[in-house]
Amino acid sequence: MMRRRPSLADRPRWLKPAAALLLLALSAGAATAQAPLHQRIDAAIAAGTPNYEKQAAPLASDAEFLRRIYLDLTGTIPSADEARAFLKDGTPDRRAKLIDRLLASPAFARHMATVFDVLLMDRRPAKFVPAPQWHEFLRASFAAGKPLDQLVQEILAADGADPKTRPAARFYLDRNGEPHQLTRDVSRLFLGMNLQCAQCHDHPLVAGYLQAHYYGLYAFLSRSFVFNDKATKLSVFAEKAEGEVTYQSVFDPTKLTKTTGPRLPSGPGLKEPALEKGKEYVVAPVKGQRPVPRFSRRALLPGLIAGADNMQFRRTVANRLWAMMLGRGLVDPVDFDHPANPASHPELLKTLTDEVAALKFDVKAFLREAALSKTYQRSSELPKGVEEASPRTFAVAAVRPLSPEQFAWAAMQATGLVDADRKALGTRATEAALYARLSGNVIPFVQVFGGPAGQPDDGFQATLDQTLFLKNGTLLRSWLAPRPGNLTERLGRLMDAGAVAEELYLSALTRPPSDEEKREVADYLAGRASDRAAALQELAWALITSAEFRFNY
Amino acid sequence: MKPFYACNSPEHLLSRRRFLAGTAAGGLGLLGFAGMVHPAAADQLRRTQKRVLVVWLAGGVSQLETWDPKPGTNTGGPFQSIPTSVPGVQICELLPHTARHMHRLALVRGVNTAEDEHSRGAYIMHTGRRQTPGEQFPHLGSVAARLLAPEDSPLPGYLHVTPRGEGVNRQDAAFLGPRFGSVALPDGNMPANMLRAATLTEAADRQRDGLRERLNRRFNQGRRTAETEAYTYSYDQAAQMMSRRGIFDLGRENPRDRDRYGSHDFGRHMLLGRRLLENGATFVKVTHSNYDTHHENFDFHIEQLGEFDRPFACLIEDLVQRGLWESTLVVVMSEFGRTPTINRNMGRDHWSRAWSVALGGCGVRGGAVVGATNANGTAVTERQVNGGHLFHTYFRALGLDSRRNHYHSGRPIPMADPQAAPIQEILA
Repeated sequence: MMRRRPSLADRPRWLKPAAALLLLALSAGAATAQAPLHQRIDAAIAAGTPNYEKQAAPLASDAEFLRRIYLDLTGTIPSADEARAFLKDGTPDRRAKLIDRLLASPAFARHMATVFDVLLMDRRPAKFVPAPQWHEFLRASFAAGKPLDQLVQEILAADGADPKTRPAARFYLDRNGEPHQLTRDVSRLFLGMNLQCAQCHDHPLVAGYLQAHYYGLYAFLSRSFVFNDKATKLSVFAEKAEGEVTYQSVFDPTKLTKTTGPRLPSGPGLKEPALEKGKEYVVAPVKGQRPVPRFSRRALLPGLIAGADNMQFRRTVANRLWAMMLGRGLVDPVDFDHPANPASHPELLKTLTDEVAALKFDVKAFLREAALSKTYQRSSELPKGVEEASPRTFAVAAVRPLSPEQFAWAAMQATGLVDADRKALGTRATEAALYARLSGNVIPFVQVFGGPAGQPDDGFQATLDQTLFLKNGTLLRSWLAPRPGNLTERLGRLMDAGAVAEELYLSALTRPPSDEEKREVADYLAGRASDRAAALQELAWALITSAEFRFNY
Repeated sequence: MKPFYACNSPEHLLSRRRFLAGTAAGGLGLLGFAGMVHPAAADQLRRTQKRVLVVWLAGGVSQLETWDPKPGTNTGGPFQSIPTSVPGVQICELLPHTARHMHRLALVRGVNTAEDEHSRGAYIMHTGRRQTPGEQFPHLGSVAARLLAPEDSPLPGYLHVTPRGEGVNRQDAAFLGPRFGSVALPDGNMPANMLRAATLTEAADRQRDGLRERLNRRFNQGRRTAETEAYTYSYDQAAQMMSRRGIFDLGRENPRDRDRYGSHDFGRHMLLGRRLLENGATFVKVTHSNYDTHHENFDFHIEQLGEFDRPFACLIEDLVQRGLWESTLVVVMSEFGRTPTINRNMGRDHWSRAWSVALGGCGVRGGAVVGATNANGTAVTERQVNGGHLFHTYFRALGLDSRRNHYHSGRPIPMADPQAAPIQEILA
């Protein structure tokens, strides 16, 4: 039996006049600009697909929405009590209130720090900057509502010499300052262009990715290197005043050598100051001393990449934030933006790009609008009569695997490890205290479920070691053992099978059980009076290892 | 990139299962893989499935004490060369058992990988490329796992029998994804978490699996994707793997074979290699450590090759005898060779300019020797090749077009270095 379809009563009342709003948005022309962004998103998504209304899934039930918004904004699932409270809340604006509450919570900044760490560092091991300092820099930035352009500028400006900004230098330093690696990652992350293929020749398939683009960007970084300061025992990012960039195409039979100064793919060439010979340095390069050039190419990078004039940065920010919430970029893959791979909804991407600037790179404000859209709030279940939904239409919500971190935190919440620790900490149970106690548990999940260090986490594969880890591993098993306040201990105190089923399903799957599922739980327990405690652990295991738990749907 | 729902469809998996199950279609339960294979289908599978065995002589084996001896020269060292089963081809006297199988092996004596550092040399030999910043290429084992392993094989495609180590090395697979990383079998032991918890009875395990499967069926009704399918199917694979864990158990081997291979670590590991290949493994790497002989090169090679020679010859014999030789590519390699010059500690140092690789089996012309070095082995004089050429050769030997591309997020990435080509002289 399918889960109950969302009925009209499940929908927030403010969404009821949706059709009217849609009409308004489609027809009102100039007036559309005044409509809130989330309505303009829905209008543009609807306009992008013929017969959209027929293909679009209805709005998700409150339970489905609740699980999704928790995972997307806080990186975990709600507790059974939180789920109960929300599912009981009959107020029309309950979804908007929840979105605002989660965005304001410390868990949001924590989750953003995790997401941006993985995005920016590709799970590289820490080398020169301790990972907790970098994480704290990101967390504090999101907690303070730091605009994203400012955050990126800080990262690209940090060289590690100033203790105040040293954590931000992890981006450069823990890549060993390797200019090719940095060229690839700066273009991929901040310009949405994976120029890797253009390192040795113009991209063979993408007309817009030229070798000149690659080396223009490379020229900002090629003079930089990691300098190990013997006096302070710190490695910092340093730069020379000389070194021109030359390159040849491996496809060119004449082996013509070209040269380029620093330049962004879409930008003009830069005029560099002509310095008198002998005056190229503020601190000249002598052994054991970090050189400081009078003119730094790298210092231009933060302003050019994340400055107000770079439309490509703004567009990439819009596309990547969209993908974070919707599971897929309007331009997909998110680092393959070029004319032959157009956005699924070009007008919407243009709107979002403008809004990124209008919202002054405020991540919360942007995510809030995305979350308020019907597009985000649709069910992931294929509507009746629809055979297949192309992910390009955004007509049905995506089914996305949990990240290793989401999986670990959700499993800790489902098994009640978090509840038990909160109980044990009592009044000292702040977000930071719980994080300090529990975050070590994330490491084994990242080892087993994470991609290789230095590679973007993309794609999903189920591997044998992952499944054996969940099936036979000691970690999950230890979380399932009863302990004051955790799930199996709570279940053990409930005598009625119906109550067990309800607590179990709300804790692990953030929804009440169906009648069939209640019966299943009762049947499961019926034959196990002698080892009820073991049976309860098996029930919890089955829910946590189900596909419904493994995916954000 | 997220796979679109097509290539990994359950229909595809199902048809493979049917093929494996022969006429007993539908018997998909959790029986062991081998138990399901219909004899006729097993024969067909054996003929069509290709396998790879890499023997990795860690640290850098000396080409002069193995495949390219130079006795009587200033660099030759104390050992003589001996005739082999191929007239005119001589190898070092430390490999008498291997010499009897020379007509099954090919030697590449003009290898110049121009990289004398361990990890970078190993990278070249495992990936066929020089290390470049910003790009990571997959191991041969990961590529084989991706292209040669049956989709529904319960065994991971890339198995690594290693003296030490644990877990799955995801880095090896690069952009192919963690599913194709190497799974370590430390000292020949089975992978982690293969045993059911002592506190969980078999009946209880089945019962909780049953509930999980019912939940999945309901979830998949309206939300099935290639990814949810892959996830739910991985539990079937895990169960099959657990039920077949006996393939890691050398105790089930004939004691006579255990004697033939030897009771030392490498002998046991090679016997396990045979056992895995016989039981459907696609790519097995067996590491023998350690050949980094900066001191006492000759004593160490007596010891190390004394361990290597007999089990390697046994494995060749057994693969031939079992009809697996023609479909199994066997390669013996290191990160580099060793300096012709003998240092003052009677050692040889790292040397990548002129060394040798031996291979045989699937697609390889037995008895062929290609490339040559000068009289005292200090330079390649004939048919110089690098890691790229070797990769083209491996792929071609396995019947794969080495000019094909991998695709990573829509980007084509040549399977083998486009500036190199196969070594045709040793291809069958």
